[in-house]
Amino acid sequence: MSKAVIELRDVVRRYPGDPAVESLREVTLRVEPGELLAVMGPSGSGKTTLLHIAGTLDRPSSGSVRIDGVDTSSMNDGQLSGFRATRLGFVFQQFYLIEGMTVLDNVAAGLLYRGVDGRERRRQAAVALERVGLGHRLVHRPAQLSGGERQRTAIARAVVGRPKVVLADEPTGNLDSASGIAIVELLRDLHRDGTTVIVITHSPVVAGAMDRRVELMDGRVERDTGGPSHA
Amino acid sequence: MRDTSRLAAADLLALASLGLRMRRLRAALSALGISIGVAAIVGVLGITQSSQSDLLAQIDRLGTNLLTVQNGRQFNGGEAKLPTAARLMIGHIPAVEHVSATALLTGAVYRSDLVPSYETGGIGVRATDVALLDTLNGRVLHGTFLNAAMANYPATVLGFGAARYLGIDRLDEPTRIWIGRRWFTVVGILEPLPLAPEIDQAALIGWPIAQSALAFDGFPTRIYVWAATDQVGAVDAILGATANPENPEQVAVSRPSDALAARLAVQSSSTTLIIGLGAIALLVGGVGIANVMFVSVLERRSEIGLRRALGATRPQIAAQFLAESLLLSTIGGIIGVAAGTIATAGYATLQGWTILIPPTGWAALIAAIAIGAVAGLYPALRAARLAPTDALRST
Repeated sequence: MSKAVIELRDVVRRYPGDPAVESLREVTLRVEPGELLAVMGPSGSGKTTLLHIAGTLDRPSSGSVRIDGVDTSSMNDGQLSGFRATRLGFVFQQFYLIEGMTVLDNVAAGLLYRGVDGRERRRQAAVALERVGLGHRLVHRPAQLSGGERQRTAIARAVVGRPKVVLADEPTGNLDSASGIAIVELLRDLHRDGTTVIVITHSPVVAGAMDRRVELMDGRVERDTGGPSHA
Repeated sequence: MRDTSRLAAADLLALASLGLRMRRLRAALSALGISIGVAAIVGVLGITQSSQSDLLAQIDRLGTNLLTVQNGRQFNGGEAKLPTAARLMIGHIPAVEHVSATALLTGAVYRSDLVPSYETGGIGVRATDVALLDTLNGRVLHGTFLNAAMANYPATVLGFGAARYLGIDRLDEPTRIWIGRRWFTVVGILEPLPLAPEIDQAALIGWPIAQSALAFDGFPTRIYVWAATDQVGAVDAILGATANPENPEQVAVSRPSDALAARLAVQSSSTTLIIGLGAIALLVGGVGIANVMFVSVLERRSEIGLRRALGATRPQIAAQFLAESLLLSTIGGIIGVAAGTIATAGYATLQGWTILIPPTGWAALIAAIAIGAVAGLYPALRAARLAPTDALRST
């Protein structure tokens, strides 16, 4: 069996307070390379916390997180940042494109913190935009794009550095259904090219298009359909 | 560790300018505060320095060798009499290079006999010996100075100010003026004499003609002394007793160049005040930048979260906002230096001074950059401390 891309073991995320809130309660999840996974669940079930922890944006209160075979619990903030820069790609519901920059520069920003020089960043960004079907929109501003185009730009930014895993948090949440379907298609394309994709969604349509579905409820894994390589 | 975040310096600069380009008006207004402070400091320093260098050059050119001797002062603005022997006695002091006696006469000067008698224009009539021009280190603008022969005849030399008041600016044709109910021919006009404004505003006539035509009693009222450069103080000390041995305490000796030097001192003290105000403007500008940076950090939470997700470390986030603040204050400072320099150059050119931008003016630019660093530091650290998950938790 190959080594897992993401492996959460007994992960608890507790927010101190009165009363303390446990967002994740002993979640164990193993994602193999090349999986296409949907994490589902109602609001407050801990989906986003799971994504943040799997993406090293947050740390578990207890339990271990291994990404690409590396234990992240002993890493400091700088090491985790470097990890994100080189191995992880993020897609958010709100796109988070920077208005002051062109579409091309927004995508090139995906390589900014890897020390790649500007010309090379733009070259790779153009390739990534071509791949998501926005080769004709390079010099436009995000404000000139439709919602679907903005999310495709954000996906190009997430994959421009060829990360091991793309983590998408409600990528179709702000889109109409036609644009949403196009985004799902795009994520499936990425998966076909070998990228591991984890999508958080509460849309059954989006979840239905994924190979494996994990359902969360009150911070616990309620159901896991299991992936193709899963026992 | 091979997975490290790296950010090139050139990219950091582009990041810093990004925030400013996105909110141009706000950036311009907050840089303006710094600009005003720096411009005030550079302008004030430049203008005073230029004028001081002009004053210093003037003092240098005029020399500090000139001393004047008067027998006290009278309440009516006239001049008291000195002993007739005073000039001769002073001339015997070894360190005295030139000495010249003058006397303020009661008569008035008119352009012609048709001018009403009350229109004197403040021009005095002075009897003088022929050594005056050398003693004052002065020069003739037109014509000649009085010589021993002319001193016996109704001839006059006008000070620069007097000639201007009388409307006489050339001597191509014979020119006469009306002094003490008599015509005098103008034989010369002097160049300005900043150290002897009373000569500037006078019509000078010879000692003998004053006695014969204007009933002058022959007592000098003001004696000019040109002392050897390194002996001015020593000469100053004994002038009173030499000029009037019987009542030395009545004699007032002054050094006209001291008045110019005093102007230097006055300028320096008022400069300090305005520099202080400029420094306050600079500080207020810094507070403005800090304010703008705080707002910027608040508004750009999601950008901070995004950059953290893209792999930016905390120091890289801090560097971005600190660089933005530094860029803002540097641009403001450079505009301020430019504005202050232009103001100095304009004013100095208008005054005919040499343009001097003092090095202390550049310190204002460095201070502006330092203020930018201080103003940006805390907002930058706040941005860096923001947890990625909090930053991404939108609106």
